[in-house]
Amino acid sequence: MNVEDKGEVKIKQETDIAMARRAIRDIAKKLGFGITETARIVTAASELSRNVFKYAGAGVMQWRTLTSGENKGVELRFEDQGPGIADVNEAVREGYSTGGGLGMGLPGAKRLMDEMEIDSTVGKGTRVTVRKWCRR
Amino acid sequence: MSDESISVIRIRDVLLVTMPADPDDTTVAALQERTLEAMDLHDVRGLVLDLSKVEILDSYFARTVAETAQMVGLMGGETIIAGMSPAVAITATELGVTLGKTRTALTIDRALDLISKPGDGTRPRRER
Repeated sequence: MNVEDKGEVKIKQETDIAMARRAIRDIAKKLGFGITETARIVTAASELSRNVFKYAGAGVMQWRTLTSGENKGVELRFEDQGPGIADVNEAVREGYSTGGGLGMGLPGAKRLMDEMEIDSTVGKGTRVTVRKWCRR
Repeated sequence: MSDESISVIRIRDVLLVTMPADPDDTTVAALQERTLEAMDLHDVRGLVLDLSKVEILDSYFARTVAETAQMVGLMGGETIIAGMSPAVAITATELGVTLGKTRTALTIDRALDLISKPGDGTRPRRER
């Protein structure tokens, strides 16, 4: 798995959620993702960056493009120093929410992407990594 | 931040509210306010919410749309969502968003047809 290109968007205010979406839309299009796949990636980025803003107040979205054989993909990593998630398995279940939202952020993003990993420590922060591969 | 904004125009007794391609949270929040203000200002049957330009509908945007439709309903108007693209419909469904009981139409034309028909709650139904 080679890393070709990377970058980051800092999430400090509400408008940064839209900035993150725009950055990811451009990357997905460049990588050759179709309209629906791009919408999936951008929507997942929106949900996950909103989680960062809503629960931690601030954080960062790091992105990088991936190559595995002939396949191209994109990886998004959302990191914050927020309150953390006590039960990660519970958090990716349907309907789970502690932020007064609809609880679709994590499970929804998981459905939209190919791979998801969550690394979280209560009181220290959360790191959510998602990947999507371009199918041809 | 966003150079794209909401457009609200009145066509006869319907408001046509058009959302930009990728509204930020402030623009999404403005949907509620601008729509309800326009409802208050004009004597209309309801509104057609044109989502044909919209590229993504995340949970926040969807919740605002559903809430706005509910508020418009309380004011006595009907909301019809029109023009959602296939990519947005697929993604929103996979994400798990719903728009409550809000009616939908494929195009603005069809939405305008729907909103003026009996049985939409704005006219009494005839007894059989």
